[in-house]
Amino acid sequence: MDISLQIKSLLNEAELYRAQGLFPEAKDKYHAASVMIHKIDKLKNKDNLLKAISGKIQSLEKKTEKVETGPSSPELSEKGQNLIKNLFGENDLQKAVALAKFGQFERAIVELEALLRDDVYRVDAGKNIIRCKMAIASVDDAIDQYHQWLAGDLFNGHQLESIRTYLQPIIDRKGIDKILPVPVSEKDEINTGADSGGIEFSMPEPEEEILDITSIGITFTSGTHKGKMVEFDVNFQSGGTLSLIISKNDKGLIEELKKGDDLDDIQFYSPIAMFKGTAVVANKTRIDTGPKQGDFCLDLKVTST
Amino acid sequence: MAIFNLKKREIECKVVYYGPGRCGKTTNLEYVFKSYKKQVTGEMVSINTEGDRTLFFDFLPIGLGKIKGCDIRVQLYTVPGQVKYSSTRKLVLRGVDGIVFVADSLEVRREKNMISLKDLQSNLKEYGKSIFKVPLIMQYNKRDLADEGIPLMSIEQMDRDLNRQLKVPSFPGSAVKGTGVGVTLKTCLMETLKSLQREFKWAK
Repeated sequence: MDISLQIKSLLNEAELYRAQGLFPEAKDKYHAASVMIHKIDKLKNKDNLLKAISGKIQSLEKKTEKVETGPSSPELSEKGQNLIKNLFGENDLQKAVALAKFGQFERAIVELEALLRDDVYRVDAGKNIIRCKMAIASVDDAIDQYHQWLAGDLFNGHQLESIRTYLQPIIDRKGIDKILPVPVSEKDEINTGADSGGIEFSMPEPEEEILDITSIGITFTSGTHKGKMVEFDVNFQSGGTLSLIISKNDKGLIEELKKGDDLDDIQFYSPIAMFKGTAVVANKTRIDTGPKQGDFCLDLKVTST
Repeated sequence: MAIFNLKKREIECKVVYYGPGRCGKTTNLEYVFKSYKKQVTGEMVSINTEGDRTLFFDFLPIGLGKIKGCDIRVQLYTVPGQVKYSSTRKLVLRGVDGIVFVADSLEVRREKNMISLKDLQSNLKEYGKSIFKVPLIMQYNKRDLADEGIPLMSIEQMDRDLNRQLKVPSFPGSAVKGTGVGVTLKTCLMETLKSLQREFKWAK
């Protein structure tokens, strides 16, 4: 092909890639055209042509930089945030967590703070507020938040202890030399046992620390759903016991499960890791009152991870 | 995961358009929104960033009416194609029932197609799903650019690159012109409903 046609073809390609938003590809073609033009000695308007190409390349570099350095999760309009809530969450907690997952931390905190008033969601909402604070501010802000809750009376000792045992390992992993104070009532429990001076019982082995599980995938090994993996969000967690609220619409998924059933293939999802394990059905109850009336609560005891 | 309301005989399922950045996922959805007004049941929502690139997702709800006595509603989503939005892609993919993989026919995007397909496989795997089992349709987009003299991959080459093992239905397309958009979506919906039927036996 004639060299001028080759240059024309390269410029044509470059222009089309630019129009398609394929900036690196466009830049490559402009460079290739520029190299070719440099090699031609007797080309009319050579300098002007090279200058024009150089200008195109510079403009592409600016555009590329804008795309690459743009915020990965900018604050959306209320309408956008509401859409995320409705599309990616079923209950109020899931809706608030969905906002956080899409980087809408400020709004997520507002929604989560409202959930602190709800005894059912309080601990999970608290932990997620801690997550949001760490994402938008710092671990110090999360620690300050814990201290505020510790000084107030919103949480009971057991609930606060659950938040403390969630936050302390994060602080430790980050190499921050701070020990969160244990809530008073928890301390009392420990002290009462130690100072009683009465009959000493052999203490059961402490349960192995289990990560915060946000959701699980159960692969059914029998029944109608044999071989299928179904994902459930974990609504509450207390140590190795996970509670799932199953909507009455999904009743069919758990119909065949009964107390004592072993679930041998479970995928656990936590904020920091995914792992496989097993669990046993500890309880299955129908919720008879309140906003979740008709839904089911499935308690699973994690037996191995 | 599809939502079944057996009492009301309603099914709501989720189809996701996946593919590399700038391959035409949003353009596919825009064409559906413009051209299938009868089926579209709500506004198309796009959350874009600099340079009109999808930031989180596009969303378009459509309804297929009654099939085998069930009212079928479909939520169409696109994922952001840019590599840096990996976690968002994974979030949008959660609970997916059917996938349209939009591949870019431009020769210069060959590697990007393959990287994106690998990314899809890996994200599905994290949800415990196999790319070989999920209803998946390929669309080889931007075929119209052949008229502009731009080097495109042949359909055969794209099939070899992307569909050699998967062997899923594939269609050439030009989302800007609307070519292949309808047949791609229709085939994906058929495969998705067939898969849901195998799993949940909804069409009795």
